[in-house]
Amino acid sequence: MSEAKTKVVIVPCSGIGKPYGTVSREAAYIVTEELRPDQTQLIPLSLLVLGDPQTRAAVMENVAVTIDGCKLACSTKMVKESGGTVSKDIAVLDAFRQHRDLKPLGIAELNPEGLRLARVIAEEIARQVDELATDVTDSASPWKRESKHA
Amino acid sequence: MPEFLEVAIDKFTLKVASDRLYTEEGVWAKMEAGGVRVGLSDFLQRRSGDIAFVEVKPVGAHVKAGEEIATIETVKVNVSLGSPMAGRIMEINPLMQSAPEKINVDPYGDGWLVIVEASDWPADQRYLLTPETYLNAVKRLAGEEASGL
Repeated sequence: MSEAKTKVVIVPCSGIGKPYGTVSREAAYIVTEELRPDQTQLIPLSLLVLGDPQTRAAVMENVAVTIDGCKLACSTKMVKESGGTVSKDIAVLDAFRQHRDLKPLGIAELNPEGLRLARVIAEEIARQVDELATDVTDSASPWKRESKHA
Repeated sequence: MPEFLEVAIDKFTLKVASDRLYTEEGVWAKMEAGGVRVGLSDFLQRRSGDIAFVEVKPVGAHVKAGEEIATIETVKVNVSLGSPMAGRIMEINPLMQSAPEKINVDPYGDGWLVIVEASDWPADQRYLLTPETYLNAVKRLAGEEASGL
């Protein structure tokens, strides 16, 4: 029996100690806790790297939006290596290029501009989540793919 | 394709193109038929981080040797780049507006900054570093950073 995909997994980079990594995680928190809590699930990249079975299953059974803090794009690479489907990969640096007044600074605590950049990214992800949700009745939608872990 | 001198520091292999000259801060200058092409060294781009924005003085602007010719804003720092020579800016790499990350990807090729009509290249180039001398400077600076000095 197939199981419709019901969540978008949000995978931020782990970039601990770097402002752009912190922006990626802050954006993920805003989406999963505030903007679209019922439609999304936060995935810690560290668990994916460690091969945690539940985390890998969540990535394989749902479409993913990845948020990368630098060009290494660890989140995107790790989701793909785990057999997941990346619906949209967002680079914090690209978002900053489009919003030059929102220069993120700070590590443990972001400056106001960094928090605003995180919200801009989060709102873009929310729109992506909505687009995926409207496609849920489409048989070609990744949300309708069969579970690989029946 | 230029040939490179290389040095391995920590996990990085730093390249110095052997067909051009350098300022101590890591701006390169290469004399070509149409002028002197200018860009950032591999070490300078790595040290500065992922580049978000580049602002270059406009075409037609005159610069003195050592005077600011461009600024880069990266994820880590803002860097003012001094011109390797005196002259007039003839051309700006259009990719600096649309794809400044080219500096990170290909600092000695597509990631060039400007082409300058040098006013006295023979005089100014005497103050620039040969690839071998610049490589030694890179070894020293990168070694200091790697050891936390």
